[in-house]
Amino acid sequence: MPLANDIPKRRTRVIRAGVVYAGVVLAIGIAAGSRPNNLLVWVFACLLAALVASGIVSGFMMMPLRAVRIEPRRGRVGEPLLVRYEIQNSSRVIPAYDLHVAEVDATKASGLEPAGEAWVLHVGPGDRVHAEAVFRPMRRGTLRLARFEVTSTFPFDLLRKVLIYTQPAEVLIHPEVHPLREGVLERVTAGGAGGQRMSSEGGGTDDFFGVREYRPGDSVRQIAWKRLAGTGKLASIERSRSVPPRVRILLDLSRPTSALRVTEGEDARELEERAIVLAASFIAYCDQLGYEYALSVAGLPIPPVALRRGHFHREKIMSLLAALDLELPRAAGNGLSASEERATTIVVHADRTDTSVAPSEAWHFTARQLESLIARDPTKIAADERAPTASQRREVRA
Amino acid sequence: MTLLRRHRIASFLLAIVAIVAFSIAELDFTMLFLGVVLAVLSWYVTEGPRGRTLPDWAANTVVVCAIGWEAFRFLSTGEIADAMGALGRAMVWILIAKLFARRTPTEERQRFALSTMLVIAGCLESVQFAFGLLVIVYVCVAIWTTMLWRLARSAEEARHSRELSQGFAPPLEIAIGRRSSPQFRGLVIASILVVLAGGVGVFILFPRFAEIGSASAAGRSVSGFTDEIRLRRGDRITESRRELFTVRWIDPDGSARRMLRPLLLRGAVLGWYDAAGERWVPLRAEAGIRTLRTPEDGAFARLARNEPDPPGAAATVDIEMRSFATDVIFSIYAPIAIATSEPRSVSIDPATLVLRDVSTDRMGRYWNYQLQVQPQPSAEMLRALSAGTEPRGAYLSFPLDEVKPIAESMLAEVQANSGLPPRPDSNATASERAVWGREAARAIAAYLRTNFTYTTDLSTLPRVEGEDPIVSFLTRYRRGHCEYFASGLCAVLRSLGVPARIVTGFIAIEYDENSEHYIVRESNAHAWVEVRTGPDAWMAIDATPEESLIELQERNRSFVDRFRWIYGSLEFFWNSRVVSYDASVQSTFANRVQGSWRDAAGERLSQLLAKMRAIATDLSLGRAGGAWFATIAIGVCTTLLAVLIVRTRRRRLRARLGVLGATRAEQRRLVRDAAFYVEALDMLERAGFMKPAHLTPRLFAEELQTRDRMLGDAFLKVTDRFYSVRYGGSDGPSNASAGADSHLSLLLALRAAIRQNRATRRAD
Repeated sequence: MPLANDIPKRRTRVIRAGVVYAGVVLAIGIAAGSRPNNLLVWVFACLLAALVASGIVSGFMMMPLRAVRIEPRRGRVGEPLLVRYEIQNSSRVIPAYDLHVAEVDATKASGLEPAGEAWVLHVGPGDRVHAEAVFRPMRRGTLRLARFEVTSTFPFDLLRKVLIYTQPAEVLIHPEVHPLREGVLERVTAGGAGGQRMSSEGGGTDDFFGVREYRPGDSVRQIAWKRLAGTGKLASIERSRSVPPRVRILLDLSRPTSALRVTEGEDARELEERAIVLAASFIAYCDQLGYEYALSVAGLPIPPVALRRGHFHREKIMSLLAALDLELPRAAGNGLSASEERATTIVVHADRTDTSVAPSEAWHFTARQLESLIARDPTKIAADERAPTASQRREVRA
Repeated sequence: MTLLRRHRIASFLLAIVAIVAFSIAELDFTMLFLGVVLAVLSWYVTEGPRGRTLPDWAANTVVVCAIGWEAFRFLSTGEIADAMGALGRAMVWILIAKLFARRTPTEERQRFALSTMLVIAGCLESVQFAFGLLVIVYVCVAIWTTMLWRLARSAEEARHSRELSQGFAPPLEIAIGRRSSPQFRGLVIASILVVLAGGVGVFILFPRFAEIGSASAAGRSVSGFTDEIRLRRGDRITESRRELFTVRWIDPDGSARRMLRPLLLRGAVLGWYDAAGERWVPLRAEAGIRTLRTPEDGAFARLARNEPDPPGAAATVDIEMRSFATDVIFSIYAPIAIATSEPRSVSIDPATLVLRDVSTDRMGRYWNYQLQVQPQPSAEMLRALSAGTEPRGAYLSFPLDEVKPIAESMLAEVQANSGLPPRPDSNATASERAVWGREAARAIAAYLRTNFTYTTDLSTLPRVEGEDPIVSFLTRYRRGHCEYFASGLCAVLRSLGVPARIVTGFIAIEYDENSEHYIVRESNAHAWVEVRTGPDAWMAIDATPEESLIELQERNRSFVDRFRWIYGSLEFFWNSRVVSYDASVQSTFANRVQGSWRDAAGERLSQLLAKMRAIATDLSLGRAGGAWFATIAIGVCTTLLAVLIVRTRRRRLRARLGVLGATRAEQRRLVRDAAFYVEALDMLERAGFMKPAHLTPRLFAEELQTRDRMLGDAFLKVTDRFYSVRYGGSDGPSNASAGADSHLSLLLALRAAIRQNRATRRAD
């Protein structure tokens, strides 16, 4: 939630156009002073007055402005991060025009690359207007926004008036999610422990499950008419429902970053980040297919997330992945055991597989496989459809 | 969103104004016509249904050609003075080429710069009123254009920043409030007013030269009248219909009427013919020129020092200036008294009875005056006016001997046709000679009117080298305008031994029956002859055919004449107040402003004090009266201030609480009872915590809690209390002192929390 926690600092910056203009005015002033031509003096006077009027008009325009950043709750690497600003003009008379809003500290190095500035054409007296800036989050994690500024060169583009607001905020940037190749997850979950099965509870719409006492609110269609005819009591038919496949994803970060095997040109931390991206992509894919999914992180003190599905569950897991601190010391031995709830297990490793962290039927992937798992052009996917599957098999055997 | 599209038409108009202004400055109407037509065509071509633009190479070729052509013309003429004109003309064609080119930001900037440079070039070329008016229009349009251009550029930049992301960022949705266009108009007008007001201020205060050469003449206005006649220059003859002043003739019985003959208004008397320069000039003024100061109350000041008693009945000539400022006072022969609309110093030359304004202030402006005149003054009056000044012999001599035989033959012809008596011999008395001279002047003037032709077009008459123009007029051409007629008559009379002199001024022909006055225009400048008819008496003889003058006047008459004086007045104002504004006018203006402020303030203060003293006397307050008045004044001011503050505060509270839609009673109740909430918000805002509009009070309090627990808790209590007052029907503090205490304690707790927060932040 946004809160402006500081009165804005006001600055006036000289811009290049203003310097050029001042030079021209000075030249005309010298010319007007050196020859008896009152029309030239008049032109000089108007040009000089325009410079002063620029300061006065923009000063009066910017004085009553208040701006608040409406902080986004979260963002995602590779997706536009929309940051909204509320600009309020508390003046009763003077409107404001041509306002640019920009984050002062948003740079590529800080992990937030501007991709579209927020611009306000007009804020009338007493009006509130929302403007939207677009950023490109560059890396996962907590992003800290500190200051933003509202600037304007209106009316004559000679001076830049600036209001600097200090409004610290934190935005959680989720890891990047790639669309995985079609069929990858279906093959993994086909049959086995995590496959589709019937629920042990009623409430669905499939096969007959049983009869129970009528409850107010039950549909007329559910009424067991034969039972009613026989016993004279209202009863409802319950039908079974199918339970979606379950996938448990284990992100293996048990090896310290320094212990990872990397080839020349590879970065160990980058491999770990890619492993996180792969895990996030599996999560997103599971969510897309309607699976139940869970997440455990081996090597870091993160409590496992239980099997669930739905938007909030996904967001919870993504937030957990976003907040992973790879600087923490790693601990071995908190992998998955065979006694866990029945589900297909997918283990995502950073550099190489380690079968000890998961049950034997688990599927193992490494961060290096990310590129081959990402969905590509449909025509290409059809051509080498089998390749990734074979590769996965080899990984598992290994 | 139309704001973002308007800058195109604005920049187009700016270019048009610049082209028109420069063409007017150059008085080049071909360029004006061509430039405007091409500019309008460019709008149709580039913005019309097809929207075509000139390719860059074609535009650049036109630019190069324009520069080359103007450079060639300039070098071929070789006139350095025309350098700015050549540069300006080149810029006009470049600007037109740019109007046909693509509308990129760079092109827009170049067009703006070219337009401005054109106007500046025009400033160096002209000081005309029409151009000055266009400069002011240009300033206004430039402000409008710049503001629109700034908006359009920003929108373009914002869109471009999103396009750079190559589809990553969603398209720009422009954030815009309500009624943006009307408010923009208001802001443009305000900006224009600020710029013009600032411009006037800078213009007044900018250090000036001691005297602005040619411009000082402009301060006295331009008219057909001059105090010399140059016979070789035809440019003095003008057909301008500009209205200079009006003349009303008022008989001694007080009724205005039209005279049977046109009125001749004397401005200068030219007594000496400079044969080498082919010009008539005034005789050098000698001692005896008197100066008098006209009274403030508009009463008449007598021009004669020893006026005969009684002076005799006099008519009044009322002269009202319309667009003419000059130090010459035009009068009808013979003036005996003058009254002015403001006190002026007036000089009178007793030898010529020519009046001049010799006041020292140089603020170019015109003023009105009335003259008492006697068309047929008595000898005593003339003696009093001339103060015994003897006319000089120059009025008898003419430097060209070749005129004498012409004059003799003309006299013989006149005597043969008109019965003019023979010339008196040397034994004749002065009176007899004067009578003969008057009759001869009349007869020769009639001869000239009959046998010579009036024309203002002398361009078809070839000049004969070595022959004086007067001789050419009398012998060869026998045609000319009033200056030639007057010169010819004067030369002939002097050659015949008749004292004569030339007078220049205006002839009042056009009479407006509705307003009962003569209208004198620039084209009414005239020259005639005065012949000596007595020791101090002179009689006007006009040799110019009157019918020709009337015909000329009628021929040029149009309905525009009724309004021409408005433009004339504005032009005069421009010339006198802007063009000729120099160091001395600046100094006069400063003194006048300073003096008027001091006078006005002092007068008001003294009036106030007098009134207070009178009241104190009436009420018998004695010496304590001042203290009483001071106390009352302080009380009244304090009360007014308090009322103002309370009203402002209530209005603000109503707006902040959002109860403007409620009944008045409810508004009063809430303003009274819920003011503490607004006060809390103000405290938070001062501390840097502004409540965003989209947050409810409670959400805002919860947000504050996340920032600072203590602060949030304190404000949450305030919010709860506010909810109970606003929606829960609480009586508020007015009915229960406990409630008031509660509000106060809540606010005190909030203030403590704010202080704590501030201390924490400072420590961090």
